[in-house]
Amino acid sequence: MTAAVSKSPAGGNLKAKLAKAWQSVGPLVVFLAMFALVAIMTPTFLANGGVTIVASSAASVLLVALGQSLVLNIGSIDLSNASITILGAILLAMSLNSIGAVAPLIILLVVSIFGAVNGLLIAFTQVPSFALTLGTFGIFQSAALVVSGATTVYVKQNGEGIKSLYQSGIGGIPMTFALGVIAAVLAWWFLRFTRPGLAMTAIGKNESGAIFSGIRTRWLKVLAFTMSGFLAGLAGLTIIAQAGSASPMGLGSDLLLPGIAAAIVGGTSISGGVTNPLNVVFGALSVALVPIASAAVGVPSQAQSLVYGLVIIVTVALTLSRSSNSIVK
Amino acid sequence: MTPAKKSNGLPVIALTNIEKSFGTNKAVKGVSFSLNPGEVVGLIGENGAGKSTLLKILTGMYQPDAGSIEVNGKTVKFRNPRDSIAAGIGVVHQEQSLFTNLTVAENIAMNSGKGSSASTKFGIYRWNKIYQDAKTTLEAIGSKLDPKTVVNQLGFVDRQMVEIARAVSADAGADGSSLVILDEPTSVLEKHETEVLEKEIRKLKNFGAVIFVSHRLDEIMRNCERILVMRDGELVADLKTTEVNEKQLFKLMIGHDSRAEASTHKSIDPKETAAIEVKALTRKGKFSNVSFSVHSGRLTAIVGATGSGREELARALFGAEKIDSGSVLLAGKQIKSWRIPRAVKSGIGYVPSERKVEGIIGGFTASENLTLTHPGKSAIGPFLIPRARKKIAQDWFNALDVRPNDISQELGRFSGGNQQKVVMAKWLNSPELRVLILDHPLRGLDPGAAETVNAQIKRACKDGAAVILLADTLEEALEMGDQVLVMRDGEVTSSYDLAKQNPSTLDLLERMV
Repeated sequence: MTAAVSKSPAGGNLKAKLAKAWQSVGPLVVFLAMFALVAIMTPTFLANGGVTIVASSAASVLLVALGQSLVLNIGSIDLSNASITILGAILLAMSLNSIGAVAPLIILLVVSIFGAVNGLLIAFTQVPSFALTLGTFGIFQSAALVVSGATTVYVKQNGEGIKSLYQSGIGGIPMTFALGVIAAVLAWWFLRFTRPGLAMTAIGKNESGAIFSGIRTRWLKVLAFTMSGFLAGLAGLTIIAQAGSASPMGLGSDLLLPGIAAAIVGGTSISGGVTNPLNVVFGALSVALVPIASAAVGVPSQAQSLVYGLVIIVTVALTLSRSSNSIVK
Repeated sequence: MTPAKKSNGLPVIALTNIEKSFGTNKAVKGVSFSLNPGEVVGLIGENGAGKSTLLKILTGMYQPDAGSIEVNGKTVKFRNPRDSIAAGIGVVHQEQSLFTNLTVAENIAMNSGKGSSASTKFGIYRWNKIYQDAKTTLEAIGSKLDPKTVVNQLGFVDRQMVEIARAVSADAGADGSSLVILDEPTSVLEKHETEVLEKEIRKLKNFGAVIFVSHRLDEIMRNCERILVMRDGELVADLKTTEVNEKQLFKLMIGHDSRAEASTHKSIDPKETAAIEVKALTRKGKFSNVSFSVHSGRLTAIVGATGSGREELARALFGAEKIDSGSVLLAGKQIKSWRIPRAVKSGIGYVPSERKVEGIIGGFTASENLTLTHPGKSAIGPFLIPRARKKIAQDWFNALDVRPNDISQELGRFSGGNQQKVVMAKWLNSPELRVLILDHPLRGLDPGAAETVNAQIKRACKDGAAVILLADTLEEALEMGDQVLVMRDGEVTSSYDLAKQNPSTLDLLERMV
C-alpha cells in the first residue's frame, strides 16, 4: 500500500507543498529573478560593479533581518532593532574617537543589553512585543538624536580596522557582507543543532505546548531579543565600515521596513515558528536589489518604501498558512 | 419510532464509493452506506481508521477524490462547511470548536447558516430573537444554561451541551430530513453526565438520522440500532446491533482479540519514603487542604465530578498553577517556588488533557516532539545530534506501534491516539521519571491506542514512577489504581487503598456528588 503513488493530491495538499517549496528555494528564485531583471534592464549594472553595490547595501539589511527572523521565530516582533542599529553606529563612532580600538566590543555589549532589556520587559511584564518594541523604537530613536546632537558623527581616529571590513573583500564582495553570511550560518546552526535553538522554534509554533514541555520560554525570549540587539549592533558596525560616519538621518537610518521585508522574503513566517537564516541571505539581497530594480523599471526613488511595503504584504499574503494547524485524522 | 419531519422515504444520506487520499496515504477507501430517517447509527474504528476524514467529507471540510454523496435523494457536492450545514447536516466535533470568547447564544446563532437571516433585520442583529432562539434550542435538549453566558466561563460538560444545541439548530432551515453527527460527544464527559447525553441522543431521532461516533463500545451498543465499523480506511462491517457483541466489535475494529490482563494492586512498603507527598495543599477557590502521598511504583487515581478541583490539583503539582499554601515533598525533600521547568528537572511528567494545545508542538516532527523535553542521547549539553534523535524516536515508534510509522511527519498530522503515544514516550524517555501525572490520558482514544497507553502507564509504574491518574471513568480508576482518592468541591472526601479495600463504582459516586 505504501508503494502506491497517489494520483491526485488534493488542493490543500498542493498548497502545503507549494508553501514547503517556497520555504526551501523560494527566496533564491526571487533573488535570481530580480537579479536577471536588473541585469537585462540595466546593461551597465554588471560592468559598473553592481554586484559590489548590492552586496554592500545588503550587509546591514541582512544583519538586521537575521535578528528580526530570530525574534519572529519565537512568535514576537522587534520593531526597535533598526533604531538600535543607528544608535549603536552613533555610539560606536563617538567611542572610537574617545576610547579607541576596544570600542566595537563595548558597543556590541551595550546594544546586546538594549536587546535584553526589550526581552526582559516582554517576558516578565507580558506586554505584547509589538507594543513594547514600538515604544523602545521611539526611545532609541530619540536617544540617537540626542547623543549625536542631530548631526553626523565622523570617525576621526581608530577607525582603520573597521573601515577595512568594507574596503577588503573577495571577488568584489565586501567583508561586511561576508560577516552577515557568517552570522546567518551561525544562526542556522544554532536553530537546528542546539537545544535552545530548537526550543525557540517550539515557542513560535505553540507557546503553551512549549511551556508544558518544561521549556524556559521567558529566558529564551530574552535570549532571542538579546541576539536581535547584538545583530543590530553588528549592522551598525557595517554602517561605520561603509560610511566612516553615522547620523540619525543618514545611511542605515531607515532599516526597519527593509529588515522585516528581507526576513519575510527570506521565508520567515510572520506568525512564528518558521525561519531559515540561510534563506534570509537571499531575502536581504533581493531587498537590496529593490532600489536598483525599481529604478530599472521606472519607479521613482521616493517610492521605495512603497515597494518594501508591497513586498511585505504580497509575500505574507501568498505564504501565510491560513489553517492554523493542519490536522489530518 | 418517531416519524422524521417531512420524511419522503428516501435515505437522509447515501454515500457511494467515497475515496480520499492525503499524499500516499489513502485515508478513506471506497466507503458506501446510507442512512434512513430516524436511524441512529454507530460509527466505530481505531484512531486513524478514517472515521474523522469521512466525517470531514460529510461536513464539507474535505472534498472526496472520488464517489458521490446524496442527501434526501439529491446528489450534492459540498464545497465548504456552509454547503453541508445548508443541506441540514449538523455536527458536534470530537474536539470542541466553540468560540470561547462569545456567548452561548452567539455561538448557537453563528452556525445557523440559512437560519441566520431570521436573526438579522436589514443586516442588523436582532438580539432578542437570538437569545430567545438559543433558549428554545437549549431547553429542547434539556439544558438550563443562560444564553448570555460567555462560553469560556463554562465547564466541559456545559460546553458540550452548547455544541449539541449548535448542531441541532444548524438544521433549522433544511428541507427534508437532517443528519446530526456526534463525533465522540461523550469522550470528555463524566459517567453520570453521559447518561443525560444519551437521553438527548434518543430525542435527536426526531430531527432525522444520527451518526454517533464513540470509542466506548458499550455506549454504542446501548444507543445505536446499527453499527458501521471502519478499519484502515475501509468499511469492514455494517451490522444490526442485535447481531453482535462487544467482543466481536472489538475484533472487527482492531483485527485481533483484546489482551486485557487481570489487574493486581500493589501495596505500600511502610519503610519507604513516598515519591511525592502532598500536605494540606490549597489553591483558593480551586482545592483546599489536600493531603496524600504516592509511593514509587504505585498508581493513585483521583476521581471527581467537574469542578471537583482535581484538574487544578494535577496542574499545581506540575507547577502550572499557583499554590497558596501547603507543601509538596519529593522523595522527602520539600520543594519551593514550584515552576514547570523545575518540576520537569525534578523528574515530574505531565500528560495534559488538552493535547493539541498543551501536549504537543503540532508543527514539529514526531521525533522532535519526542525528544524536546528529555533528549537522552540525542543531545550532548546544549548540542543536538539529529541521528541519535532519529534512533530514539524510531525505537519508541516500533515499541508503541505508532501509525503511520514515520518519525519525520509533523506530529499534528497524526491521529489523536498516535499523538498520545508520542506524548507518553516524551515523558517515558526520561530515565529519571519519578512522578507521572496523567490528566485524562485516554480521552478520545480508540480501544487499541488506549490499550497501548495503559500498558505504558503500567510499565512506568513497574520502572519505579509514582503515577497520579485522573481517569475518564470510575471503572478505569478502579482497574488501574492502587489507591483511589475521591474529590468533591476541592476537597478529598475519601481515600481507598485498593490492596485492602474493594469499593464499588457506586461507593465512589456517592462521595463525588
